Amino acid sequence: MSETYDFLFKFLVIGSAGTGKSCLLHQFIENKFKQDSNHTIGVEFGSRVVNVGGKTVKLQIWDTAGQERFRSVTRSYYRGAAGALLVYDITSRETYNALTNWLTDARTLASPNIVIILCGNKKDLDAEREVTFLEASRFAQENELMFLETSALTGENVEEAFLKCARTILNKIESGELDPERMGSGIQYGDASLRQLRQPRGSAAQTKQQCSC
Amino acid sequence: MLARSKLEEQGLGTKGGTPPLAETGSPLPPGSHRDEDVTADAWRAHRKHVFVLSEAGKPIYSRYGSEEALSSTMGVMMALVSFVQSGDNTIRSVYSDQHMVVFMQQGPLVLVSVSSSGQSEQQLRQELRYVYNQIVSMLTQASIERIFQHKKNYDLRRLLAGSEKILDALLDLLDREPSFMLSAVRCVPLPCSLRDSLGQTLQKAITPNLVFSILIAHQQLVTIVQEKTVIEDARLEPSDLHLLLNLVGASSAFQAGEIWTPICLPCFNPDCYFYAYISYLDPPDCTVCLLLLSTDKEAFYAVAECKRKIEEAMLAQNALAAIAKAHSYSVSQVGVSDLRHFMYKPFDVPDNHRQLTQFTRDGVPITISGAEAGRLLDLYRDLHSRIHSSSRPLKLIYHVAERETLLAWVTSKFELYTCFSPLVTKASAINAITKLLRWIKKEEDRLFIRYPPKYSTTPNPSRSARKAAADQHDTTDNGFLSLL
Repeated sequence: MSETYDFLFKFLVIGSAGTGKSCLLHQFIENKFKQDSNHTIGVEFGSRVVNVGGKTVKLQIWDTAGQERFRSVTRSYYRGAAGALLVYDITSRETYNALTNWLTDARTLASPNIVIILCGNKKDLDAEREVTFLEASRFAQENELMFLETSALTGENVEEAFLKCARTILNKIESGELDPERMGSGIQYGDASLRQLRQPRGSAAQTKQQCSC
Repeated sequence: MLARSKLEEQGLGTKGGTPPLAETGSPLPPGSHRDEDVTADAWRAHRKHVFVLSEAGKPIYSRYGSEEALSSTMGVMMALVSFVQSGDNTIRSVYSDQHMVVFMQQGPLVLVSVSSSGQSEQQLRQELRYVYNQIVSMLTQASIERIFQHKKNYDLRRLLAGSEKILDALLDLLDREPSFMLSAVRCVPLPCSLRDSLGQTLQKAITPNLVFSILIAHQQLVTIVQEKTVIEDARLEPSDLHLLLNLVGASSAFQAGEIWTPICLPCFNPDCYFYAYISYLDPPDCTVCLLLLSTDKEAFYAVAECKRKIEEAMLAQNALAAIAKAHSYSVSQVGVSDLRHFMYKPFDVPDNHRQLTQFTRDGVPITISGAEAGRLLDLYRDLHSRIHSSSRPLKLIYHVAERETLLAWVTSKFELYTCFSPLVTKASAINAITKLLRWIKKEEDRLFIRYPPKYSTTPNPSRSARKAAADQHDTTDNGFLSLL
């Protein structure tokens, strides 16, 4: 089965155990809520091709286990990720407090330009809320993250979270801020784009200036 | 006696013997084990409790109820262990009218089984060994020892968070599945040609550092291909495969996804991790599972490529449909009227000392209830323990009872357990067995994996060695020490 796409982005789904990362991924890829909740072991890999900003993008998504014992394995999959969903559970203060740790890991182990969207999951459980929209929104702003509250159960904002992240990355590519040809960027050209590679691009000079190696 | 009164204090006193699988009538829905009230009679009435704690008395796991709520009970267990230890001895078991309490210490962990199932001490100890090994399969033995060396009162639950389901599932399997008792793996009955071609497909789809390629259907083995030099060192034990399958089964796979996870095979090498690629080939049914084990942590993409090759080849052969058709066989196919059930484990297989021990059994008919199947398994277990008794082993047992007659027989060539109607005569039972053995011989190419293929991928030699090299330090701890 050959897919044609313009770009391939490597994504991560990270966050404390039990926040619903696997359910978010499952909802995004299968459009269904995964009823039987079992903890992820190691890393799970899924993919989906989406249309963003007029381009087809294949999202290669790594769902990581939140448990401590998988930390070593999951961390080795951070490398070269272009985008990440940083997930916490709005009904669990503990998972919100742990965000800084996950954020540090993502910024140091993945690409320095990684685009992160903060997801306050389990939005449907508003009655048991422990983290307000406002404070999380402020946290996101302070840390230069996008922010959405999501519900893997109802599907609310799930697709949006992935697409928003993808769109931001695409914009950065088009503005020259991100270079797909750079190793470890987490971005690759797909077959469809490769045909245009030979043509001189206006942003080429700008890209070289941005290169920080 | 001190021990007995202590147990009664904790409410583990004498109770009427519980019938097998009393849990099936239990009012508690599955999965709420953790919320169970440990002070209630219902909790005490469970047929088998299993507890895991650390040498420091810190609770790690309890099959029923929250281990946190049981910390004082576990404290008592630890006190018993220490009390006997101080007398320069090791506590092994405590017998009471209806219960047996078995203690096992493995390194810094203490495992306790409290059972009214009527099983022998040897059997309960073997089950505790499985529980310990499942924990090792997740953390490695070297890590566990190192962690407790650093910090005697470490709370191992930090690393085992979320894995209670895996241990729960293991204990349920130990109750229901004869494969543990037999120390053998059950194979899917398949036409020889199909199994051979699947074996060849797996054999061809390799990448450096791949060591095991395993194809599973309905929790039974379709085929297994192993790396040549690796299996020269050590063979894969059925217990490791049981633990691996339980781990996969208890962690549901993302339908069309692929999983990459570290896993230790305790009997093979308790101190190092393999990396397992897990993927179901038939979403959304998810009954056919491909497991590819590598010694290389970074090998996901290469191993995933192997899966694609395997998938392609299987599609071309229409293998999935063929596997779906191969369901378990019914005992009626044997053509012996008195025979109700049987389990057969052969020893005289080609290259026996290198091969994965297998067994075959007829499919449990739908007419038999879970409780009835449980009762039968209890009987088989009893025969098994008598046959393998260390003090007085037996070669043949013919057991006539009210509801059935059982015959268990072990020879140098096989181990056999059969169940007949209670009115069968010795002569007809022997006749039936002769017919059964002849049938099995005739069908053996279909019932068993006879000649599993091998491949050569020259994996990292230090990891294939049975004894872990000292320089494996940074792979075995998997970063755990940084969490202390």
